[in-house]
Amino acid sequence: MSMTKEFFKGFYAENPVFRLVLGLCPTLAVSNSVQNAIGMGAAATFVLVCSNVIISLIRNMVPKKIRIPIYIVVIATFVTIVDLAMAGFAPDLHKSLGIFVPLIVVNCIILGRAEAFAGKNSVFYSLLDGLGMGIGFMLALTLLGVTRELLGDGKLWGVPVFGSGFEPVLILILPPGAFLTLGLYLGFFNWIDKKTKK
Amino acid sequence: MKDIIKLGGILLLVTVIAAAALAMVNSVTKPKIDEQKKLVIENALKIALPLAHKDAIVKVDSSEVEYYKGYKTPEKNELVGYAIVAKGQGYSSEIETMVGVDTAGAIIGLTVLHQVETPGLGTKIEEIRYGEEKPWFQVQFLGKTPEDLAVEQDGGNIKAITGATISSRAVTNSIRDALNVLKEHLQKAEEAVKE
Repeated sequence: MSMTKEFFKGFYAENPVFRLVLGLCPTLAVSNSVQNAIGMGAAATFVLVCSNVIISLIRNMVPKKIRIPIYIVVIATFVTIVDLAMAGFAPDLHKSLGIFVPLIVVNCIILGRAEAFAGKNSVFYSLLDGLGMGIGFMLALTLLGVTRELLGDGKLWGVPVFGSGFEPVLILILPPGAFLTLGLYLGFFNWIDKKTKK
Repeated sequence: MKDIIKLGGILLLVTVIAAAALAMVNSVTKPKIDEQKKLVIENALKIALPLAHKDAIVKVDSSEVEYYKGYKTPEKNELVGYAIVAKGQGYSSEIETMVGVDTAGAIIGLTVLHQVETPGLGTKIEEIRYGEEKPWFQVQFLGKTPEDLAVEQDGGNIKAITGATISSRAVTNSIRDALNVLKEHLQKAEEAVKE
């Protein structure tokens, strides 16, 4: 097992959104602006790293039969911490992410990593895995966020970048736009994969 | 049987630890969150009652309706108007607005407290056009009384946002309803004083 491999696999080779196709609910819902995408990515990364570390620490004490409820409790605790901290210190971000912060609890990336990685590996590797996967998730969200906000709203990080003559493709920041953008990117990455394998 | 008790016990232990951790975090963030909420209301009141002195806005909490009274000076001798929170179901969220009226009942200021409408459509209720100071949708309300409030589609003279009639209507109707409730309450209170 190599450190760099465990860390970087989440960026591309096993990117949670584009390769594993996990955690699509928040991906589709909050990638309508760069700010939301990065906020959600950071929150999910924090939860992922913390839950991976804790679950790895207790992995030998947790009985097999009730591991899932215990994982959920651990994850829900960190999500609530993020939710409270965000409400107190970043109220604007909290307002715009809305219900999707508490919904990190059911993000399958987090439970997936707990079950597939942290429950079987050492604390250090679990930390690297969580961090890599979290950053990979954030990169994917940001890529979607940049595309959708730029073309759909003519802005980047809330700042207009085109002149007044630009007519935004409104559908891109609406829910159907999330599916369209994600689908095109998925196809694009699959295409690259096919090319490079040949 | 023994297994169930053992597993249940472990789960209980885990949840107790989690609850304790959350209680600790909550004790740190609670004052911060309350402060933020207060700040939001304070800032909204400044916009809703532009002429009122910032230390002379009093909350009135009667059994029927909750509103704010604003005075011009800290000594609270010249009433400039009232402010009330209006709530209406929009397209994807409950839209909350703080709206201020003068003593004659005409709107002097308003601002959106909370909304999670569709970005690019419903969120335009808060959009400020380049070079302008106030959101263009909300400016339409200034100087109007509750009787004037309805979107054009409903025969009124508030121009709804293109593609976001539901959000526009929610704001308009909720403000009208809230102001009517406030007006009724104030009239009742006045009559009670006369009697």
